[in-house]
Amino acid sequence: MDLSWIVGAIAVMALIAWYVSYGAARLDRLHTRVEGALSVLDAQLVRRAEATLELANCGALDAASALILAGAATDSLEADTTDQRSREAIESDLTQALELALGEEALRRLRGDEAVGTPVLGRVAAANQRVELARRFLNDAVTDVRRVRRRPGVRLLRLAGHAELPQTFEIDDELPMLARGL
Amino acid sequence: MRIGIVSPYSFDVPGGVQLHVRDLAEHLISLGHYVSVLAPADDDTPLPDYVVSSGRAVPVRYNGSVARLSFGPLTAARVGRWVEAGRFDVVHLHEPVTPSVSVLALWAVEGPIVATFHTSNLRSRAMQAAYPLLRPSLEKISARIAVSEDARRTVTTHLGGDAVVIPNGVFVERFASAKRRPDWEGTPARPTIAFLGRMEEPRKGMPVLSQALPHILREIPGIRVLIAGPGDPGPIREKMTPEAAAACEFLGPVSEADKASLLASVDVYVAPNTGGESFGIILIEALSARATVLASDLPAFARVLKGGDAGEMFVNEDPVDLARAVVALLRDPIRREQLAVAGRDRANAFDWSVVGEDVLAVYETVVSGASSVRTSSEHDSRWARLRRTGRNSGGT
Repeated sequence: MDLSWIVGAIAVMALIAWYVSYGAARLDRLHTRVEGALSVLDAQLVRRAEATLELANCGALDAASALILAGAATDSLEADTTDQRSREAIESDLTQALELALGEEALRRLRGDEAVGTPVLGRVAAANQRVELARRFLNDAVTDVRRVRRRPGVRLLRLAGHAELPQTFEIDDELPMLARGL
Repeated sequence: MRIGIVSPYSFDVPGGVQLHVRDLAEHLISLGHYVSVLAPADDDTPLPDYVVSSGRAVPVRYNGSVARLSFGPLTAARVGRWVEAGRFDVVHLHEPVTPSVSVLALWAVEGPIVATFHTSNLRSRAMQAAYPLLRPSLEKISARIAVSEDARRTVTTHLGGDAVVIPNGVFVERFASAKRRPDWEGTPARPTIAFLGRMEEPRKGMPVLSQALPHILREIPGIRVLIAGPGDPGPIREKMTPEAAAACEFLGPVSEADKASLLASVDVYVAPNTGGESFGIILIEALSARATVLASDLPAFARVLKGGDAGEMFVNEDPVDLARAVVALLRDPIRREQLAVAGRDRANAFDWSVVGEDVLAVYETVVSGASSVRTSSEHDSRWARLRRTGRNSGGT
């Protein structure tokens, strides 16, 4: 009688221990995924800002557009990466600047200039596409982490430790005139 | 880049997913990447040298149809060995919720994982029942791709989260360079139209075409209907009027090369599919071959044809409207030429050179920064991690 109690208690404890360690490992993996996705997004945003600077200085745009682009790109490059909300606003501004600068006439001129315009435009398009991808993958990872961290067992046992609750990254990153329309 | 691709379906039988995997692998190899494909295959099946067999495929009834899959502990062990030997930068799984090699690989792998969802009917009862078990491994996927808007909608509703739409690719040049065959080409008195696909499957639209034929014959008595694809023509013929049956020529199953020639030769290619198409790769192949395309106005088809700019459309399941459209096109060679030119241009958006670029952009986005792919057994055990750190610090 006593023995079966002890065996039962040990079994329950083993089960709890397994649940805790498994849950912790799963969360750990998810947090790693978020961190990786965040650093990729960071790199792609820098790349986009650099491509935008190049576009501003390529000479095919009018002076006013070039200034607006250069301003938005510099803001992005100098942004405080620790403050996510202000960074989101800055990056949305950069997207808007690109949208304004790349009107029909400007696009025609850039695409007509095969030596400078086309490759620069290509780099901006590629960089923006990667920003869109990186942001989507990050937000998917964040959603997964938040869902697991909402679970009562995870909250009760504080399996997330001191890791901050990650936030989705919300910016406007659509440049329809550069998309191919699939 | 070192890329590992996993196909859940056996290469012994042709199918949409397998063809996609094969084409993607060959395209990536032509760009100079290292690619290894893991797929079920019988021991005596000749495989391309980039394919590794995960074991014999067994026909299994799953999700309403019979698929040739491979699973079990032996397969799981092979998956582990493949991952270890491959030293991949990224692993790309196709159909990760099919009970086959993909799901085993997802289980076994840690690191940058990309998954492509092909199907637009994901919610099987089995999947729902096994969902708590699958969820943690689905969380490992860094990037999800859907091949169409419909497939994407399925992913978002049933799995949550989002997916990037990257369509199936086509090697446009293979179809564009197809030779025309004089016996399939139309003349003003005897124009030709073509139908491709399993004629017994009603959703491919053969019944609609059969009902439209009497209307077409009234206007164009000399029309020839070339029907290519597997199936027994007997029952199809029986349901037609005698005149309609006489206008049809059944070619049986055709090779890839003959399919391209047929599309290039005929005056109009008709796709009367009534539903269940999430993408419509055949339309893109037809456009690549410079065919004039007439298709039902399914959403998937309308997207490919840009709402009618790259090909004519008729009201789905309406034989009278189909007949009207066929007659109008056959009487207007200038319009046919216009559509063929616009269609060829449209096809370029789906060429592997373009689509492959998008897939590589996804790979780059998940790979940069992350370490390469490992098996989960060596990753998960903390003991192993401790040992590694110990070794590393000892070495430096």
